[in-house]
Amino acid sequence: MASVHESLYFNPMMTNGVVHANVFGIKDWVTPYKISVLALLYDMTASKITLPERRRLNKLILPLQQGPDLTLGQFLKTVEECCPQTAYAVKLRLHEMADGELKDMEYFFSTLPTPFTAFDSEAYKTSVVGLFMRHMLLAYNKLSFSQVYKLYKSLQHYYHSHYAKPADGTLGLPALVANDSDMDLTSTEDTVGDRIDRDELDSPLHESELRFVMRFLDKVLLFVLPKNDSTPSRGPLSQKQAEYFLARQAYLLKNDENKALKPAALQEELNNMLKFNPDFAEAHYLNYLNNMRVQDIFLSAHSLLHYFDRLILSGNEGKSNGDEGYGRSLRYAALNLASLHCRFGHYQQADLALQEAIRIAQESNDHVCLQHCLSWLYTLEQMKGSDSTVLTEDSVKMAAHFCLPYLASLGIQSLVQQGATQGKTAHKLMDALKDTDILHWKHSLSELIEISLAQTTSIWRMYGKSTMALQQAQLLLNMSSLEPVNFGVQQNNTEAFAVALCHLAELHAEQGLYSAVSEILQHLKEQFPPHSQHAKLWMLCNLKIQFERHMNEGKYHLAEPLVTAMSALNKTEGLYRKAQVLKALNRSTEAYKILQRLQVHCEKSKCTEVVIRVMLSTAELHWESSGFSTALPLLLQALALARQHHLQSLASETILHLAFTQLMLGVPEHALSVLHEAIEPVLAHGSVIDKGRALLLTARCQMAVAGFGPNGHGQADLHLAALAVDTLNESAAYFSKLSCKERLRDVHYLQALLHRSLGQTSQCNKSAMLFRLLDQELQSPAPPVSMRL
Amino acid sequence: MKMAALCSEFGDLVQIKKQLISVISLCKERGLLHSSKWASELAFALSPLPKDELPPSPPFTEDDAQDLDALTVAKSYFDLKEYDRAAYFLRGCCSRKAYFLYMYSRYLSGEKKKDDETVDSLGPLEKGQVRNEALRELRVELSKKHNAGELDGFTLYLYGVVLRKLDLLKESVEVFVEAIHALPLHWGAWLELSNLVTNIEMLKSLSLPDCWIKDFFMAHMYTELQMIKEALQKYQNLIDAGFSKSTYIISQIAVAYHNIRDIDQALALFNQLREQDPYRIDNMDTFSNLLYVKSMKPELSYLAHNLVEIDKYRVETCCVIGNYYSLRSQHEKAALYFQRALKLNPRCLGAWTLMGHEYMEMKNTSAAIQAYRHAIEVNKRDYRAWYGLGQTYEILKMPFYCLYYYRKAHQLRPNDSRMLVALGESYEKLSQQVEAKKCYWRAYSVGDVEKMALLKLAKLHEQLTESDDAAQCYMLYIQDIFSCGLEHAEVSTALRYLGQYYFKNKLYDEASLCAQRCCDYNDAREEGKALLRQISQVRDQTETPSADLFAPLSNNNTPVRRVSPLNLISFTP
Repeated sequence: MASVHESLYFNPMMTNGVVHANVFGIKDWVTPYKISVLALLYDMTASKITLPERRRLNKLILPLQQGPDLTLGQFLKTVEECCPQTAYAVKLRLHEMADGELKDMEYFFSTLPTPFTAFDSEAYKTSVVGLFMRHMLLAYNKLSFSQVYKLYKSLQHYYHSHYAKPADGTLGLPALVANDSDMDLTSTEDTVGDRIDRDELDSPLHESELRFVMRFLDKVLLFVLPKNDSTPSRGPLSQKQAEYFLARQAYLLKNDENKALKPAALQEELNNMLKFNPDFAEAHYLNYLNNMRVQDIFLSAHSLLHYFDRLILSGNEGKSNGDEGYGRSLRYAALNLASLHCRFGHYQQADLALQEAIRIAQESNDHVCLQHCLSWLYTLEQMKGSDSTVLTEDSVKMAAHFCLPYLASLGIQSLVQQGATQGKTAHKLMDALKDTDILHWKHSLSELIEISLAQTTSIWRMYGKSTMALQQAQLLLNMSSLEPVNFGVQQNNTEAFAVALCHLAELHAEQGLYSAVSEILQHLKEQFPPHSQHAKLWMLCNLKIQFERHMNEGKYHLAEPLVTAMSALNKTEGLYRKAQVLKALNRSTEAYKILQRLQVHCEKSKCTEVVIRVMLSTAELHWESSGFSTALPLLLQALALARQHHLQSLASETILHLAFTQLMLGVPEHALSVLHEAIEPVLAHGSVIDKGRALLLTARCQMAVAGFGPNGHGQADLHLAALAVDTLNESAAYFSKLSCKERLRDVHYLQALLHRSLGQTSQCNKSAMLFRLLDQELQSPAPPVSMRL
Repeated sequence: MKMAALCSEFGDLVQIKKQLISVISLCKERGLLHSSKWASELAFALSPLPKDELPPSPPFTEDDAQDLDALTVAKSYFDLKEYDRAAYFLRGCCSRKAYFLYMYSRYLSGEKKKDDETVDSLGPLEKGQVRNEALRELRVELSKKHNAGELDGFTLYLYGVVLRKLDLLKESVEVFVEAIHALPLHWGAWLELSNLVTNIEMLKSLSLPDCWIKDFFMAHMYTELQMIKEALQKYQNLIDAGFSKSTYIISQIAVAYHNIRDIDQALALFNQLREQDPYRIDNMDTFSNLLYVKSMKPELSYLAHNLVEIDKYRVETCCVIGNYYSLRSQHEKAALYFQRALKLNPRCLGAWTLMGHEYMEMKNTSAAIQAYRHAIEVNKRDYRAWYGLGQTYEILKMPFYCLYYYRKAHQLRPNDSRMLVALGESYEKLSQQVEAKKCYWRAYSVGDVEKMALLKLAKLHEQLTESDDAAQCYMLYIQDIFSCGLEHAEVSTALRYLGQYYFKNKLYDEASLCAQRCCDYNDAREEGKALLRQISQVRDQTETPSADLFAPLSNNNTPVRRVSPLNLISFTP
């Protein structure tokens, strides 16, 4: 208790650090900057200005009045851009005050046109300008003696700090004093006419005005808040500056995290803000968001609760009836806590918090809050992995009833997602999406539009329509933001964009365009840095692409380490890939075991896509032990499943497998006819490797039908053989694109075979040589050409 | 100024007294009122020295002689709180004493102006912007001198204060440690350091001079860090060493007892303190808290009236009056007085928390939350405020939400059963029985203050139809209650349950015993009798002779202990 300053507490009049409640009552305070604005307004009413200049100045008034405080240099520069003459007049007036005495400032305030008398001027009490002036006059008149003196001091400081670095203005000032006096003499009659003109001029400009304001503020904030944190921590921000700062950062966090301040810098900024203004509750919320960004559960929970503790106060203060604002924030506090736990995967905690929110909302009959709770409830259920269709449907119905389009369409989107995995018919899903889209555009819910587009992309890809998926992804990426205030953000970094970009990368990888893929991934990496929330999406995508590539090129040893990384991100995917690697390495027993496990697991969790792929892999395992007939029922089952769920790419894949099995069972004619069914979709939508495989298989079937058995006896159908040569050439082109050497070797072998039987020796030799080269390069003994698809 | 050299081993009271006397005069000359007050109090507690043993006044240098007049006039201005004037007349002085007073007046002038500014600022923009303008200059000058090694103990202390005010905490800790090494007897520097030490690890890492005053510091630190046992031990050592008359130590021990809720001990000590030092106001707010907890209305009223007579414009007085009104259930007035206390010193932690409690009583939850939040802002480690926030949300029927706050409070006071019971109750409301059981059991293990944990645990087991566990808990509960000799409302419930339990398990002797005890309580009498009848019926059927059963038991105060059929050691909830 003995610290030095303690001795000051003996004075009972002292109020150390506490600002009395009445200070909060007044919103407006006279600051040096406000005086400059007043001077500007005064000069605008008092002097003749050409129409275009006046229009520009008029557009400036609102942002200047409502924006954060600027330094004199910025202020004058902004005004100068619009009207140099007025800027000069303002500068002069400030000079008079700052270099004069206290009475000059007092004189200035007394000469301001009083809004109550000046009926004709723009400063009449009901106009925007008049209101501002009234506020300022009131605030000025309320100041105590010492405060007036302090204001004058700070005005001097404000003015002189601008001229501390010598500017040309100081020298020019006295010379123009004479000019200034004429300006003062201009009567106000002229301005009336001007005003009418202004109104006419301004009316069509309303739309652009808002943008102008925002751009202006943006520019201002660039001055006020430098992005690099190398600058020493600045002093406190004004209320408006702080609000704008928070709004901007929050928006950026949501939409483009990379443009926001770095987590540490933002934290420092917020701490600074809170130190000077501990009552600024919103800063706590931003703190919460920022902590979520770095996945810090302790600090984010702390900030969230602190925010709501504060909010409860302000809610109570703001509303006279008290209960409404206060109880409301309680409900949402619990709801937010639930969402916090949900984000961190604490489902049980989230559940408890949610129940609490629901209970409180029910008690106070807040249907909107209840609706929000319901939508969280089904999300939670979904995250836990249980079926929540009924809940979601309820939620959609209720949301529609209470006119909450946002929640309703969010519910529908969630339903569509569930429906897609559970094999709902495509047209129903698309219909639902179309309906929600209408809703989105009607209410311009840009975020949901993005989600909807990303979802359509995913659905098209699931159905195996790569072109449609590509188109939707491009649509999303090329769409310009619909947000009214977008702080210059072009590319959002919401989950929707991540999903679309990942699809884009995979689609390009399928076509073997790896340089494009690496570009897309690079972009993803920049846009969603590894610590961010959606980074896992592209990480998995990247791994998958690499894995596929290595598998295609036959570099199994490179593919194997990727599996571990994949399992970390997605267990199912990791297991499946592991089985694939094991199969490729001829460790069939292990692979079979894994596949069995996987199938059981996926059937339980209804991952139809994986189930089908597992079945195909199992069938391939059967081939290796020549169990072609045992593979058949599996394949048929897979085909049925794929057709039932409209998974076209998987269906054609299955058909390829079927055809191969039939070929192996010695019925190439059947195989060929079955193949015809699949070849079209594969060529249209399939990946390069699939195309190559399909064509290779076709060629082999054609050869078999033509009579080129493995033993190559009997009379061959030359026409069919020529056809097979073409097919093989085509498939060779595809394989070489992917540098899929093993398959290329097979192709060359078959080509050599065909050419020989067609009697084309030189071509035969060429193919044989190519085969020989590849064989030497690969070194691994060629597996019997027949044994795989 | 080489006080460090004077440091002798602990125990030589005469030496200590000499050191104290010389440091008192040093502090006084420099206007360090609180440090000199502390040292004087301590010196007063030691037996007086004979005349020839009094320490010689510090050597008078040439510089001192030169500055004597300026220093005298400046000191008198300083004493009258005319800091700028004092600084003005001390400008060119070169003696160390004058330099310190010069810097110190500048610092205090800045602080005073800052406080004045806050009252009429130019609006919320300026709020918080108001700062001690002198700090920066002071820091520059002092750091120059510091680098040159020209600072003595007092100026180092001032440098540390300046650094702390500029939020340069790390540097200020270093400077305070340096100041302590230079002048160990300056209690102000120790206290400033104690405000900066946040945990025991940090405390251990500091290299402090080996001086008798260090024991005072350590004891103070242990109290701050809620390590009460260690603190009490330290204070006891100090008393044994000869400081038994020191009111400072007595008050500190009383506060420590208050912190571990040993109310009777604390009350006794405070009463002793009031006898020795009847016009003391420091720590009386803590005393009033104790009286409040014990609901000792007349004593509290007496204390309040007494303090008002001494000085009604003291934070402590306001807190005492607030407590007084609160005890009389006049919560509006109580809140008013806490507000007044806060006006006197807005960083008064206790008042914020107490005001929160008052608003809770008035059912004004939002104001209560505000008050508690303020308390937390002042001191993040205030467990009462966290607990209060938890209670507020509990009243608002948000059991999950309040868990966070209770957990915070529990973190700060891991061995306080009240937080654990509160946590357990919240978990119970959320039907998380496993967690609730853990909390209750832990609350019992750390020494349950309100004796409710076991009962609640038992009831929880009863709900979950874990009858063996429930019976065990009831039994422990009854033992606990009887061993304290307290009357508790729920004993009958426990006995009733135990009776039924024994009856079901065919332990008729025990059952009838419990049933008999039941008959001592009004609310369970009928059931007890019914049970007795049932037992006798069953006994008649089975013909178990047990006529002499009741005789030895009737004079046993804790009957259940004898009949405990279950091995208590293996009990785990």
